[in-house]
Amino acid sequence: MTMAPRLRKFALTAHVISSVGWLGAVVVFLGLSVAGLTSQDAQTVRAAYLAMESIGLFVLVPFSLASLLTGLVQSLGTKWGLFRHYWVLAKLLINVVASIILLMYTQTLSSLAGVASGSGELDVLRSPSPALHAVAGLLLLLMAATLSVYKPRGVTRYGWRKQQELRTVSQL
Amino acid sequence: MKLRTPRATEETPIADSPPYPDSVGDIGVEPGRGSTPGTPRWVKVLGIVGLVLVLLIAGLMLFGGGQHGPGRHTQSGDTGGQAPSRQAPSGAALDGHTPSPGGHR
Repeated sequence: MTMAPRLRKFALTAHVISSVGWLGAVVVFLGLSVAGLTSQDAQTVRAAYLAMESIGLFVLVPFSLASLLTGLVQSLGTKWGLFRHYWVLAKLLINVVASIILLMYTQTLSSLAGVASGSGELDVLRSPSPALHAVAGLLLLLMAATLSVYKPRGVTRYGWRKQQELRTVSQL
Repeated sequence: MKLRTPRATEETPIADSPPYPDSVGDIGVEPGRGSTPGTPRWVKVLGIVGLVLVLLIAGLMLFGGGQHGPGRHTQSGDTGGQAPSRQAPSGAALDGHTPSPGGHR
């Protein structure tokens, strides 16, 4: 099932916006995590971890799910398909893995925010964990963006079979 | 010296031509026409790098001697502990990272 051109453009726009929004939010998160890790001001450190929790729950998670959903629509609604091309498959894998890790990490963010809100020692906030997760996420999303632009060649066995079927049908 | 301007002919392929020339801009035309079913090198490289990273992270989680999860950021798994120190002078509670027992590593 392929979408009409106008719908396809709309879906593509939604996918680009959600993916770029996710990437930008990760960069902001990275900045906050560095501030939380390096700042000598207690208020700044607490504020950074509280902001990281909010960004994680209300920006990163929605953008990641939106990116995944619009990506699925975009691939299944066009001739690219979801399992036909390696670059689409790689992007799907990146998106799913990053989303799962992000959803799991929200627990850690809530825990850190709990400490930052004043119920625990500030020392334990000096963790490189948010920055490491942000860098890893950023690398994954940059890889996905690069794959989207370059669209490296390579069809899967399933995709090749589908191509052969289409050619056979068109020759009849 | 007279410089020769290369022409874009069959003998001088355009270096920056897109890998999927029939699908520029995702306009819905058939992509990847004529591709072979063999696994491309970039997929193998990406797969190996991903596998190594996954094994590395799993190894660190298993043998690194540390917990991985929200519990490691609190003392003994809960958030009870020292009273809020919002009024503490900057750096007072932050200088010198002294991990508490059961804290993160």
